Amino acid sequence: MPETRTRWYPYVTILPALLLIGLFTLYPVAVAIQDSFYQYVLTKPRSHPFIGLRNFREVIGSYYFLNSLSITGMFTVASVAGVFLFGLTVASLLNTKIKLAAVLKVIILLPWAIPSVVAGLLWKWILNGDFGILNGILFSLKLIPGYIPFLSDPVLARVSLVLAQVWKEGSLAAIFFLAGLQLIPSELYEAARMDGCRTWRMFRAITFPLLRPIALVVLVYETMTSILTFDLIYVLTGGGPADSTSLISWFAYAEIFKSLNLGHGIALSIIIALLTLALILAYLRILRTEDSR
Amino acid sequence: MKIRQGLFWKVFLVVFLVLGTAVVSTAAADVNMSFVVWSYGLETVQDNIQKFQAMNPGVTIALKDYSWLDYHDTIVGRFAAGNFPDLMYGSDHWLQEWASAGWLVPLDKYFPQVKQYSPELAPYALQGMSYNGEIYGMSYYADTLDFIYNAKQLQAAGFTAGPRTLDELFKMASALKSKGVVQYPIILAWSQKEGAFPEAFLSLVFAQQKGGNAMFDSSMEPVFNRPNSAAAQVLEWVRKAYSAGLIDPVSLSTAEIDQIKSMQAGAHTFTIAPQYNMAELNRPKSGDFAGQFKIALMPGVSHATVGYVRFYAMTSAVPKKGKDYLDAAWKFFEYFAGKTNGQYTVVKRWAVENGLGFAQLPLFNDPDVRSAFGKWGDITTIAEQAKLARAKEGLTPWYGTWDIFMRAEVQKVILGQESAAAALSAMASKWNELKAQQ
Repeated sequence: MPETRTRWYPYVTILPALLLIGLFTLYPVAVAIQDSFYQYVLTKPRSHPFIGLRNFREVIGSYYFLNSLSITGMFTVASVAGVFLFGLTVASLLNTKIKLAAVLKVIILLPWAIPSVVAGLLWKWILNGDFGILNGILFSLKLIPGYIPFLSDPVLARVSLVLAQVWKEGSLAAIFFLAGLQLIPSELYEAARMDGCRTWRMFRAITFPLLRPIALVVLVYETMTSILTFDLIYVLTGGGPADSTSLISWFAYAEIFKSLNLGHGIALSIIIALLTLALILAYLRILRTEDSR
Repeated sequence: MKIRQGLFWKVFLVVFLVLGTAVVSTAAADVNMSFVVWSYGLETVQDNIQKFQAMNPGVTIALKDYSWLDYHDTIVGRFAAGNFPDLMYGSDHWLQEWASAGWLVPLDKYFPQVKQYSPELAPYALQGMSYNGEIYGMSYYADTLDFIYNAKQLQAAGFTAGPRTLDELFKMASALKSKGVVQYPIILAWSQKEGAFPEAFLSLVFAQQKGGNAMFDSSMEPVFNRPNSAAAQVLEWVRKAYSAGLIDPVSLSTAEIDQIKSMQAGAHTFTIAPQYNMAELNRPKSGDFAGQFKIALMPGVSHATVGYVRFYAMTSAVPKKGKDYLDAAWKFFEYFAGKTNGQYTVVKRWAVENGLGFAQLPLFNDPDVRSAFGKWGDITTIAEQAKLARAKEGLTPWYGTWDIFMRAEVQKVILGQESAAAALSAMASKWNELKAQQ
């Protein structure tokens, strides 16, 4: 192959992909960034003046910003921790020589494969305060004196949302961790056993250090997913009661579709994207530091 | 042979031209219109469309439906993306938004004859379909938020008629609870996402107010935040009833379907819901209490309530398509919401078969309607409540934004997170802030 051809070949081969990404990702993002500097209220279709950073100022100064940011923070921390623990526990169980492990590996992935809206509806029925199955079971086992309004109490509604998120996302984390666990050579455990190590010590000294790259992937992915969670809230709580489950992504939606203020919605979406990006960069920094040790 | 060939080609040409002209003229007369609705009674809608098409050859209607709960947001998405339907369902709740954005067009601008129907409409419905003095819709159905009670349960607690005031309601609910008839006598569909939540809240406020301007004065300045306003009284009452365990806590996450099913199951005695639910509540064999559900005038001082209207509307896409489409659109409006052979055929069908309320007042005297409504409700009370109904106050282009804020504030008061006065003050500040931005 002539040298010129060799030089251009990689660029030509990735060009179609670049064009598609440019058209469907970069262009919309660029337009959104541009629109965020204009007043863009859908009820005023003929007036789009340039307003600089006013959309950002108004969104940051809005009544919901700090509150929803703190709710998002709490939800993210609780969900990521829950998903992490759930995934690791399930993966550890599946990694043992139990019967039906192959079938369980498929079944465990089902919640992740279910669309979020369906998962939200499922949990809405399960947690219903008048006729939900969870209340039915707890009541028939005499564990509760009366039905609990899970989705009507601000604290319980948040817990319910985290529960649904962990159920939905935990299975994917479990599969990630399981793949990681299966890559750890069994000789390491055998040697540790010969040295008299107990299970917890083996986990701390062998399993967890070798799972760290996968743990960080799970951490990054689940943090992003939690911050951007919208569909589950939309179906399960609608942001209520009293805005107690209104994550910041909910308000980005509400600004556009309820208030018809595209400028505010886009500005808020950009802020969410920047926050998520900052977190990811922090995670990657941790990852790089660990690798270089 | 040549002569025959020439004749053949002449005949062929004439036939071709005649057929071609016919095909072209038929094509020109064909009008295909899209019609977007929320998912309710779709079989009836389809059947009505087929009957309309049979009466109007050359006009076809393509139906598309979305869930009621997502309807507003889906339609906004479609409008924002430039994907306009031709005809659609609209609501008084969103008219100001959609009309000010130029998405819907005034009907009386294109069809001045639409005004001939105005004298026969309930005032709240006409008001709900008007924006800046122009009429934007023809009524699909109009209804009132009604106070519904389970007469059998009430009787078990020793009462023979529904409550007239909020105090009476509190006493009756307390008796029902203390006598163990039900654990939570009152259920409200006040989930933050439920469309009828503000309407139900406002119906209590209207009932507690003598005369109009319960929420805003004529210049759209808030009055609900004044000391001892009707809104303040209602909020205090709801909080007290909630704290006393008279209102099911689930109310804060309940939507209309669950609310009606709970009532049918006998879990609650009192609720506030759109009147059309009476048909389902009293549907024979729908539960142990079928036939026991009755309507009382909204408890309060004036017994006023909220009347709302859902209507057929036309988008700005239609005038752009020309006269044929406008003509077809008027035929559609006249058939679906106006009179055919002197009768409100389709509106009456919805009322008789589905129990939907109506804005067309003469239908209250229609024997078929009276007979149908009599099966599931007391038409005298329904008509009396309809006369006391008023359109929601404060319908402006910024109402949707304020509505989101208002729902959360009301819930905060019920949950005891905030005082009624603080919530009303915050709601007034938000209103003034939004108004100033216009």
